[in-house]
Amino acid sequence: MKLATPSATSTTYSQLQWISLCLGLALAAQVTTLPLWLLVVVCVAVAIRLGLAARGYAAPSRAIRLVISAVSIAMLLVQFHTFNGLPAGSALLSLMAGLKLLETQSRRDVYVVALIIYFLSLASLLESTSFWLLIYLLAVSWLTTATLLKLTHSAPPPGWGPSARYAGRLFAHAVPLALVLWLFFPRFQGPLWQMPAQGRHTAESGLSDSMSPGDITELALSDEIAFRVRFTATTPPPHERYWRGPVLHDFDGHTWRREAVGSFAPAALTPAGGAYRYVVSLEPHQHNWIFALDWPERWDLADARLTSDYMLVQPRAITRPIEVSATSYTQVQASQPLGATMRRRDTLLPPGRNVRTLELSHRLRDEHPDDMGYVRAVLDLFRQQPFYYTLKPPALADDSVDEFLFITRHGFCGHYASAFATLMRAAGIPARVVTGYYGGAFNRFADYWIVRQSNAHAWDEIWIEGRGWLRIDPTTAIAPERVERDLKDAVQSGEPVRWSEGIPWITDMRLRVDALRQLWRERILFYDQSSQNDLLALLHIPEPDGQKVAMVLAFGLVLALAWLTWQVRREQRRESKDPLARAYDRLCSKLAAVGLPRKAYEGAESFGARIARERPDLAREVSALCRRYSRLRYGESLHHRSKRASVAEMAFAARVRTFRPRRAAL
Amino acid sequence: MATLRQAARNRLRAWAARRHGIDTLPLRIHRRRIYIVPTRFGLLLGALLFAMVIGGLNYSSNLGLAFAFLMVSLVLVAMHHCHRNLLGLSVDVNLEVDAFARTEALFHFMLRNESAVDRCDVEVCVPTAQPAIKSVVTGSYEQVAVAVPAERRGVTRWSQFELRTRYPFGWFHAWTYVQAPLTAFVAPTPAGNRPLPSVAAASGKAMPSQGRGDEDFAGLRSYAPGMPLKHMAWKVLARGGEAAVRIYSDRGAQPEWLEWAALEGLETEARLSQLCRWILECEAGYPRPYGLKIPGIDIMPGRGPLHRSRCLRALAAHGEPMTP
Repeated sequence: MKLATPSATSTTYSQLQWISLCLGLALAAQVTTLPLWLLVVVCVAVAIRLGLAARGYAAPSRAIRLVISAVSIAMLLVQFHTFNGLPAGSALLSLMAGLKLLETQSRRDVYVVALIIYFLSLASLLESTSFWLLIYLLAVSWLTTATLLKLTHSAPPPGWGPSARYAGRLFAHAVPLALVLWLFFPRFQGPLWQMPAQGRHTAESGLSDSMSPGDITELALSDEIAFRVRFTATTPPPHERYWRGPVLHDFDGHTWRREAVGSFAPAALTPAGGAYRYVVSLEPHQHNWIFALDWPERWDLADARLTSDYMLVQPRAITRPIEVSATSYTQVQASQPLGATMRRRDTLLPPGRNVRTLELSHRLRDEHPDDMGYVRAVLDLFRQQPFYYTLKPPALADDSVDEFLFITRHGFCGHYASAFATLMRAAGIPARVVTGYYGGAFNRFADYWIVRQSNAHAWDEIWIEGRGWLRIDPTTAIAPERVERDLKDAVQSGEPVRWSEGIPWITDMRLRVDALRQLWRERILFYDQSSQNDLLALLHIPEPDGQKVAMVLAFGLVLALAWLTWQVRREQRRESKDPLARAYDRLCSKLAAVGLPRKAYEGAESFGARIARERPDLAREVSALCRRYSRLRYGESLHHRSKRASVAEMAFAARVRTFRPRRAAL
Repeated sequence: MATLRQAARNRLRAWAARRHGIDTLPLRIHRRRIYIVPTRFGLLLGALLFAMVIGGLNYSSNLGLAFAFLMVSLVLVAMHHCHRNLLGLSVDVNLEVDAFARTEALFHFMLRNESAVDRCDVEVCVPTAQPAIKSVVTGSYEQVAVAVPAERRGVTRWSQFELRTRYPFGWFHAWTYVQAPLTAFVAPTPAGNRPLPSVAAASGKAMPSQGRGDEDFAGLRSYAPGMPLKHMAWKVLARGGEAAVRIYSDRGAQPEWLEWAALEGLETEARLSQLCRWILECEAGYPRPYGLKIPGIDIMPGRGPLHRSRCLRALAAHGEPMTP
């Protein structure tokens, strides 16, 4: 083991400690995404290095380091198969930082670790949406920068306090410039290039592309927010606030699924009512669909498209919060007949399943040959028979519809939607199950709607010749007053109730917090090209294009840099002299401006006397001022700076301020 | 690559010299003469920041971009602070220094900071010397000694020196050239074992070799400041008489001539070394004026540090091309 030889550029134990602390804090932000073994390797490497440094030893030998590096990089490759992409890249960087610390000998090595810490902080932020994480990582970078300052400073290194303060001041000075860059730097739609997004296994949340009896019941108990909606102009009435999610076509007697849907374009719809414009901020749900108000017509997401069953989908899964502005019509009419493929698919029932349901359907169909009459008969059945609406329905076997309709008769929206669609298909009416959300809670503090997982819902769509797809919500036939409000409110006795539900101020506070969160999202997270354009419109720059944005950016940068320069100079001048000296300097520069500069060797009184000789017109005033100055400067007030003295200094400064010498007449 | 960089640096030096002319010291560093470039670490950081901004854009991550832009701005602020670290600093130096060969010539730079902020890690660089580094807190001054190794006898001149800094983070390197002619007069290393000419002459007359003239007492003279205390007539003073100094025989008052011609048979450098040794001996020993005669220059007899320096500089400059 080699002893460390101290030199001007070698690192000290305390520097190593600080940089290790910074690295640890930066890694803490990634602790959930990095492989555990990697964290262990990094920790062990840092611990070994610190242990050696504490005993005054140098870094371990090259051979040991090489072996450790090779093994851990190989393990990394085995785990990720690539170094491309955020998770693998972050893992590699973390590993490099740990190994770099292990071999740290000189300041240069610590510099590299500091750079890695900066980059790791960025990597943590790239897919994050958290305000607190940003603050935390800024604090980590600040600490790292302060460490760097201690490191570059030649002996003796400043104390921890001054370094931290100085680094903090640098960060504070950087803020305006960063703000200008952030606001006006051109943004692009979509990524510049695609990064592989494997390695991060985030649990899917919310609705999925299949529905078994009982699925939605689990969601209904969740308080998690699915999305928030802000209507730009008018808000649709409550019974039209159906948020369309996965449309399910394929039924096996128990579970509804959405298997591959043909990629042909959706049939055109003729709007029959008013249009609603709104902005949806979706929470990430790891699926590719976007919840839009039934039926979406226009949206601002370039790569999103509408499927043939009017689902708004994106090519990639939504792993980060996104914001979509869209326009929907709640009342539409089909302008084309139903395609044969779609008709066949939406009337298909699994043979030999739910036999009693089929019998029931045939009986009812015989009584009601017209489609609408049949629909009404089925809904009447739900209304008149003792069907119950409960969050705790009994478990159902394979022929779920039979069991539900004839035995249990206790169900949730999914049960009713499933049973209704089966009855429709049995009668030859094309029907499908639509899952999504219904309703939402209004946040009166910020004028938007919060739709939670508990608002998850399932309803049906049936095809009526001449009218097109018609939305039927069979759950409303059971307990209309219950569906009008949140599903949560429909909880029967014995169901859990949020403890804070009844306390108004707590509800208010939650709403206020959520309003803040939404503000953070709308203003910061979803700041994009169109927000930039809105901002430029506020600055009276209409129709901004790339060139205009670049000009605004350049102008802003010039302003910010000018501010910075001014700030830096001001700091240099600030308090360099006491007010009295400043006032005297001002007097001298005023006289210099009229061609009477003070000579370097001249004291105040001799300067005054010279001016009196050269410019008799100024004599009285200047010699009075100079005398006053030397009395204040060298008089007794120098030793006991009384309040009176500072008043006198201020009076002197005021006299200098009003003093306006004129140039000598030629 | 290294030679290319050196060539570029020399061109820049020459250009700066033409641009600023000869400076009068003390010099207050104006912003127009401060140059600043990123260091290698700074360039690495720049590449990293570029990657950070691209990453932020690619992931359309506003938080990532906010962080990246804050770091970019931080670097720009650091650049200003690096520049400011030299701005307005006053520098002064003793332009001419003396040294002996195989020792060091010490230039004492004076850095004065009259601003409200501390100046940290200011390096003073004279070519061929190890740069000296110093921090100057607000409203104070620091002396910085730069030791230039003096290998050979001769006169070394530098037309400029450099102040530079990498503060605060080592991301940038700011520097300024000060066009001031620094001169190091490197006298030869004192060497040789020949006796002083007077001693040699005396021994030639078979005088006692230890005779340094002290024994030829010639009388008293009243004391005047500057006379050697060694020759104070303390006994006279103790008796209550006036302060007096013993005067020795006229041989002691005779100027000692240190002559090039007296060192026949030695090589040039050896002669110069011997002359140097004699000068030091004369200055340290018996108080009698000494003069120097070497080809091209005659220095009239005298004594004292100025005279000594004049003589040593004459030795240093021997054979050197004349200054323009």
